[in-house]
Amino acid sequence: MVRPYTMKGQKRKKRGDKYYPEEEVKEEEANTDNRVGVQEGYMATAKRAMVAKDDEKKAEEGEEEVEVPELEGIPIAPSDQNTKKPGVIFILEKACLEVAKVGKTYQILNSDDHANFLRRNNKNPADYRPDIAHQALLAILDSTITKAGRLKALYVKTEKGVLFEVKPHVRIPRTPKRFTGLILQLLQKLSISAVGKREKLLRVIKNPVTQYLPVNSRKIGFSYSSQKLVKIRNYVDTFDNDVDLVFVVGAMAHGKVETDYTDDFIAISGYPLSAACCISNICHALADKWDIV
Amino acid sequence: MARTSTELKKKKKTKKSGPVAAAMKQKAPKPNAFESIWSRRKFDIIGKKRRGEECRTGLARSLAIEKRKKTLLKEYEQSTKASVFVDNRIGEQNEGLGEFDKAIMRSQRERQLMHNKKSKYNLSDGEEEEFDIPSIVFPSERDDFEDEMMPGDDDDDDNEGDESEKKSAVLKHLNARRSVDGEEKKHKTKKEVMEEVILKSKYYKAEKAKEKDENEQMMEELDKSFTSLVQSNVLLSFTANTGSLKQDRPDSYDKLVKELALDMRARPSDRTKTPEELAQEEKERLERLEEERQKRMLETEDSSDEDNEDVDKSSIQRPRSISGDDLGDSFSFDEEPRTTKGWVDEILERKDADDSESEDGDSSEHSKSAEGDGNDEGSDEGNVVAEKTQFVKDWEQSDEDNIDTELDKEEEEEEMKPKHDKKSKNNVSVEIKERDVVALDRRKIKSNSEQPSTEPDIPYSIQAPKNLDELRALLENCSNANIILVINRIRGTNAIKLAAENRKKMQVFYGVLLQYFAVLANKKPLEFELLNMLVKPLMEMSVEIPYFAAICARERILQTRTQFCEAIKISENGCWPSLKTLFLLKLWSMIFPCSDFRHAVMTPAILLMCEYLMRCPILSGRDIAIGSFLCSMLFSVTKQSRKFCPEAIMFLRTLLMAATSRKQLSCQDSEFYHLMELKALRPLLRICDCVYDISPLNFLMVVGMQEDSSFFSSDSFRASVLVTVIETLRGFVDSYQGLTSFPEIFLPISVLLLEVAQEENMPDILQDKLKDVAQLIKKKADEHHMLRRPLQMRTQNPVPIKLLNPKFEENFVKGKDYDPDRERAERRKLKKHLKSEAKGAARELRKDNHFLYEVKEKRKALMEEEKTEKRGKAMAFLQEQEHAYKSGLLGKGSKRRR
Repeated sequence: MVRPYTMKGQKRKKRGDKYYPEEEVKEEEANTDNRVGVQEGYMATAKRAMVAKDDEKKAEEGEEEVEVPELEGIPIAPSDQNTKKPGVIFILEKACLEVAKVGKTYQILNSDDHANFLRRNNKNPADYRPDIAHQALLAILDSTITKAGRLKALYVKTEKGVLFEVKPHVRIPRTPKRFTGLILQLLQKLSISAVGKREKLLRVIKNPVTQYLPVNSRKIGFSYSSQKLVKIRNYVDTFDNDVDLVFVVGAMAHGKVETDYTDDFIAISGYPLSAACCISNICHALADKWDIV
Repeated sequence: MARTSTELKKKKKTKKSGPVAAAMKQKAPKPNAFESIWSRRKFDIIGKKRRGEECRTGLARSLAIEKRKKTLLKEYEQSTKASVFVDNRIGEQNEGLGEFDKAIMRSQRERQLMHNKKSKYNLSDGEEEEFDIPSIVFPSERDDFEDEMMPGDDDDDDNEGDESEKKSAVLKHLNARRSVDGEEKKHKTKKEVMEEVILKSKYYKAEKAKEKDENEQMMEELDKSFTSLVQSNVLLSFTANTGSLKQDRPDSYDKLVKELALDMRARPSDRTKTPEELAQEEKERLERLEEERQKRMLETEDSSDEDNEDVDKSSIQRPRSISGDDLGDSFSFDEEPRTTKGWVDEILERKDADDSESEDGDSSEHSKSAEGDGNDEGSDEGNVVAEKTQFVKDWEQSDEDNIDTELDKEEEEEEMKPKHDKKSKNNVSVEIKERDVVALDRRKIKSNSEQPSTEPDIPYSIQAPKNLDELRALLENCSNANIILVINRIRGTNAIKLAAENRKKMQVFYGVLLQYFAVLANKKPLEFELLNMLVKPLMEMSVEIPYFAAICARERILQTRTQFCEAIKISENGCWPSLKTLFLLKLWSMIFPCSDFRHAVMTPAILLMCEYLMRCPILSGRDIAIGSFLCSMLFSVTKQSRKFCPEAIMFLRTLLMAATSRKQLSCQDSEFYHLMELKALRPLLRICDCVYDISPLNFLMVVGMQEDSSFFSSDSFRASVLVTVIETLRGFVDSYQGLTSFPEIFLPISVLLLEVAQEENMPDILQDKLKDVAQLIKKKADEHHMLRRPLQMRTQNPVPIKLLNPKFEENFVKGKDYDPDRERAERRKLKKHLKSEAKGAARELRKDNHFLYEVKEKRKALMEEEKTEKRGKAMAFLQEQEHAYKSGLLGKGSKRRR
């Protein structure tokens, strides 16, 4: 069976264990005559590490302070960084990200390059549009609410039913080619880690998506076909500040999002909008609501 | 589940590798559907073939058991045996062969052998033997018929001896053959190689020689044929044609060459003269002239006394030149007769001075002074230009030669130029020389003509005067033009560049000159033209001795300031600066650069002016005039550096307020005035009656008037003062429009301006001007207001979340290790391989054990069964016996019974 995911906390602990003995050795070498107990040494090193960390933090803060333009007399406006704020979750449904073996290589299918291949396999090339998902992702991750840290999570479910999670602090490649390369690797390797870190930025996860959504959340689906046409700015205002909002947007060329978990199903325009445009509308409305400029 | 499936897969793979498996598979056309298991794929991928992914567990298992039976079971069975039966028949080991194939192989073999046997009766050849040998060398091909063959060979060699002997003989033969063969080959190759190399080189050489010969032959042939062609005149027509063409048109290159041959060689031009050399020349010239003058003086006396025959050339020339230049000079002198204030005269004289300066080679300097004059008098510049043209006309009328008019024109052009470059002047030194001659003549004429009038003769080389008295003595009875001439000659003879001690002299002279200037400015009937003319030499000299000039200026400013402080303490009325101070300030503003933000002289000068404006009380119209003059001077000084002078602005504002009729100050205004010393604010400038024409004020005239003269209370004076005030204000508005505090400075003034415009009796022109300026201020202030931002709390820029780049490959292939450290990747791969192999081996061993165990068990069971059977039999027999015994049938009894 598949090896279970190890917990992050344990990993860190392990790393710490690795880290400390080295220092201990050093210390012991330094003062061999008055030997300190292993435990004591451990404590001391731990403490020192803590202090060092604090120092680093202070240094960082100091740098930040230096960066602030110096206007001595003018007081700094209070910042409400630490207060709890409502977040937003996006789910892209029916994203056309499908891996196929074209020739000898695996590729993400798109309507431009693989039209003939798709026809040979009795598929409609017009359905294979990875660029929609790409643009939608960019629209979400480039928005001000994401930059402000209000995007809590981002899930993408492909046409085939593969669900993957995108961390809000990913820098998604901006060119379609690189994006498809990334998704290809994700769908084959099932996870993508950060450069120079072990942290996983994209990860294929188990269905259904509802198990990852917060309890106190409002799930809103979007469709042009919906009878409920609302102005998104006003609609967003109706929610309290303590509920998390989940927006379900389709990232496909044709069709309708069919989900059973959405509480509401609305249209935000009389026109059929692209996924990216719809998302940017939502983001603007939210930014407006939360006073993010 | 997954694990078992993978294991099975692996097992199957191993099984499949053998040809047996392939054969079995071929045999089984349709596998049992229940035996095959498909591994379920997580993602269905288009284009990926499903073939080869299924695994048939049952089949694989049975195959594995079969194989074990063939290998392991046999080994196990033989493990207890002492001998082995080996089946070496042809084709018996190859299981793929059918019975028929085997038969064919056997028959082939038989034929071959038959053939061999036949050949035995032929005489042996090398070939034959060679044919024979491989059959011995590779006995494995022969399978189990080796034994048969050996006797065949025996027959071939000799029939006697036992097997061992035969064998040894064969071996010997073989060995011998082999060794001989090998040696031969080795030897041959060495020799051959050498020979071949030699041969080859020889061959190539021969080839080359041959080729060469051939080439030469061909060349000869070609030559021959060509000469024959030439002789046959076939080509002649072509050549002739081309030749003629060439002759017709000379090549452009040829032309160029000819041109180049005719060209002049480049020659170095004359070196430009250094300033020192120029000064030296000037001095020498002046000295020479002085000598001549001295001589002339003596000679004229002589000539007047006694008629000398050997008259000097100049003396001869002089009357002649007079007659030649008569018209022009007489014209100029006719105009000259003194109307002391006439501008024409002044300009003319200035021109004269200019002429004399053209000897210096820097007449363009004059333009500066002219400019300065223009600045000084305000609107007089146009006038000056007009005069100049008139002057030129004069010279054109006079019958001077062409050079002269040219010269004048040139001078004029140079005057137009704002920039004076001496270099260009130096370059046309030849021209200058010519000019010198002309100017000399002219001056002679002038001196001649002036001599009769009261002016004394001016020596050419004059020592620098040490103090003011000396200078006064020197300049006594001189006309203005001559004063300048004298000064220039003093400068020429004592040029700094000539000698080091001259610097000291010049410094003293500069001080004296400055003093002279100051004294002149204080004189009651003001000699304004002379002052104007003095500016130029002063400026030039201060360029030569900048430090001394700066020190002088600073000293004077300091002195003036102390005097002013004293004056303001004692009396209230006399503290506005005198004309002398004003002129000196103006002079300095011309000498020193005003564009510097901070300057050793100009900064104190500006401060002094500001102090005057701030501290002096305005009591009369004269004060107003002086104050507004100071303001305009301040404006001209600060125009370039855009230094802010609040005093000037405040003064102008005060004047405007004086023009209004309102009495009380609003609180808004008073906030400005608590900084200043209180000024008496009588409505000095309020216009009571209608004024129709506004004429510009003559400052000198105004200053010259008495304080209580009626002119100051006239409306025309007020109007013209207001005009100047407004113009100056406009200038300040323009120059201060970049200041951030512009609206705060000027907006109250604009209100005031509008108020003044509302006054009754205000002339229309003034009203327009006032409104204009107010409009301008409003516009600029609005612009500033537009740009201003309200004061805000300092906000920290929101920090965006830190983004991380995902790590992915351009062309990802599943299962490839993308570790940049190749060695590590390799090692990991090997480790993985090793692990899987070890696992596989363990699995195989385990299964082998199972298999063996089963076999053993089976056997054991079999034996057990046999044993029990035997035992049963025995028991049955025994039971029977027992039964018989017991029943008495055993022995006789039974027999008996039978």
